[in-house]
Amino acid sequence: MNRAIPIGMLLSALAIGVAACGDDDDTASSGDTSGAPAGGTLTVYSSLPLQGAARPQTTDLVNGIKLALKQAGNKAGPFTIKYESKDDSSAQAGQWTAEQVSANARSAAQDDSVVAVIGEFNSGASAISIPILSEAKVPQISPANTAVGLTSDAPGADKGEPTKYYPSGYRNYVRIVPKDTIQGAALATIMKKDGCEKVAMANDKEVYGAGLARNIEIAAKAQSLNLAFNQGIDPKAANYRSVASRAKSQGADCFVYAGITSNNGVQIYKDFEAALPNAKLYGPDGVAEAAFFDPKEGGVPAKVAQKVKLTVATLSPDSYGEVGNKFFADYEKEYGEKNPNPYSIYGYEAMSLALDAIERSGTGTREDIVKALFATKDRESPLGTYSIDENGDTTLTDYGVYEIKDGEQVFLETVKADV
Amino acid sequence: MAAAGLPASTSGAVSSVRRFLAQNGLIGVLLIMPLAFAFHDLRTEGDLSRLGNNLVDGLSNGSIWALVAIGYTLVYGIVELINFAHGEVFMLGSFVSVSFFSTIGLTVATGIPGLVAGLLLTLLVTMFALGTLNTMIERVAYRPLRNAPKLAPLITAVGFSFILLNVGLLWRGGSQRSIPNLIDSQALLVSIAGVNITRGDLLAIAVTIPLVLGMTIFISRSRLGKAMRATAQDPDAARLMGINVDTTISATFMIGGLLAGAAGLIYALYQTTIWFFQGFTAGLIAFTAAVMGGIGNIRGAVLGGLIIGFIQQLSDNRIGSQWTPAVVFAYLVLIMVFKPSGLLGEQTREAG
Repeated sequence: MNRAIPIGMLLSALAIGVAACGDDDDTASSGDTSGAPAGGTLTVYSSLPLQGAARPQTTDLVNGIKLALKQAGNKAGPFTIKYESKDDSSAQAGQWTAEQVSANARSAAQDDSVVAVIGEFNSGASAISIPILSEAKVPQISPANTAVGLTSDAPGADKGEPTKYYPSGYRNYVRIVPKDTIQGAALATIMKKDGCEKVAMANDKEVYGAGLARNIEIAAKAQSLNLAFNQGIDPKAANYRSVASRAKSQGADCFVYAGITSNNGVQIYKDFEAALPNAKLYGPDGVAEAAFFDPKEGGVPAKVAQKVKLTVATLSPDSYGEVGNKFFADYEKEYGEKNPNPYSIYGYEAMSLALDAIERSGTGTREDIVKALFATKDRESPLGTYSIDENGDTTLTDYGVYEIKDGEQVFLETVKADV
Repeated sequence: MAAAGLPASTSGAVSSVRRFLAQNGLIGVLLIMPLAFAFHDLRTEGDLSRLGNNLVDGLSNGSIWALVAIGYTLVYGIVELINFAHGEVFMLGSFVSVSFFSTIGLTVATGIPGLVAGLLLTLLVTMFALGTLNTMIERVAYRPLRNAPKLAPLITAVGFSFILLNVGLLWRGGSQRSIPNLIDSQALLVSIAGVNITRGDLLAIAVTIPLVLGMTIFISRSRLGKAMRATAQDPDAARLMGINVDTTISATFMIGGLLAGAAGLIYALYQTTIWFFQGFTAGLIAFTAAVMGGIGNIRGAVLGGLIIGFIQQLSDNRIGSQWTPAVVFAYLVLIMVFKPSGLLGEQTREAG
């Protein structure tokens, strides 16, 4: 016992030392921007999973953000804008983690110069950061969240949503992708159109996956599409053979997974393809990434990929119109990439919207920027012309259907969701 | 007198029921799920093919858990250490085997003779590599702590587990990666009365059974095996009898590593997806299997692995994948309640 005390003291001393180092780092990175609103320099954060399966998407997304800022000359009206890209994932998890998300949100909330946060990428992550940012009245723009419950209690939202995300009642969150009411309907619409008789569905139980699954259920009912089951999965299971064989015994001829790649998306598609070799396979934007469909990146084999259709809230580069085409030309000039990931355009638009709102706010304060965001009307953007409604949702509704060819995501058609 | 006889006979009945439960309750517990599902299938579908398919899938999945579980149980039996790093050794088994067969150029297009020869070579190389790794871990992290308090090697084991986990993470990144489906794992081999047996099932069972049998014979017959059992019983007495305890313990870790390597290869070929975290999940399941079967007992570990395989597939198929871990651990709790030493549990040095 006597020996244990000094060791305990040593450990706690070490812990304090480590914490102190952490503090030093924080102040070093944000020190030159503190107290900025008066001085005219404002900061915009992004909080995105820069590691794991979503990495290719978020890399292009961040490129889009940087391009928008560069084109604006780092200015929004009279303000100079500084951008910081934060990571909400850990290498261990291979995807966003609650600790990292809340750490980013807290550092944004506590740094007075931060007047907008672009993020999160995953709906489950936003469910954690919104309450923190809402409390501090930090404007938040998500370039990718689709879960219904984040903004409204429309069908598909869970009990208590969305009020539980805004404990003080202050709405600070807008998004520029259509919510899953539309993606769910889009998936049901294409499955119906492709002649699915009985659909087996699995979801990864996250805010995004479970919510989307509910939306697909609702849309399927409305379009009298027959669902065999909606099964939550254990994302750490070794395989899903017996889940798939249940679909087989129930005569399913289509399979859809509502979830993200890093929740064992690859394995579940392989197992369902093996059990139902003639079935058509469908997936949402959560699996629209190379880690899912490119065998070179560890994705499903080509045999499986060719049966998959994906819905993403991005369209073919040709369908974006003049503003959109200019974006693709600029992007290629800047980064030398002709076919960037569709999310690059959302990154670009998220930053453009943030800059626009900061300029329109006049004062550059958090609350005025939030007001300006919600007042966005008929904004012309590379995504098309849209407004932000009273819930913070975009008025855009088009979904693109993609198929996989040679490890690439290829645009197939635009689907007008039958909501 | 008559009134007094009634409670006596009731208590007699109660105690005989208790005795019956104590003797047969465990078997009852184990059979609840399969019997209920068998009854349900017969009533609704008229045959038992669905249950049969569940059991075949359970058998092949369970074989892999069994191979990993043996590693836990062997080490526990001999040094009474829960080798937490074992799951990660298994994960590295998958990584080494996949890297090796990719290096020697095995692809889905390779012909059958080349594939069989290549995979056999991969199996040997992986087993040897992981056996060596496990022995080295023992030499570096456990042997110096042989006479230290029990917690010391436990914590170095946890430490090694995290080191290897991060080696895996650096090696192949943080997400699940699909690997070439060399044996077309889910291709149907034969269908007997509606029960489908796939190539993956055959591989898992065909590699596991000889390995387990070979090892059981090795431990019961060979000189080193006898030394292992002697060391497990009483290391000091074994040393007095001229047994080199350190070599014996190294050999035990070697065998555990060999089996983990084999399991790693089978897992990779069977599931066709590998990732750095697979060892954590598999380690937890295999450790559960070892405890369920009675830690320190090899047949128990195999039995535990197979039972968990069955429960997982039954639950995936009937109850729902999201509940599977809960169902597995509920079974563990029930079994422990009825038989705290595990299904085939033996007395350990610690327990007396």
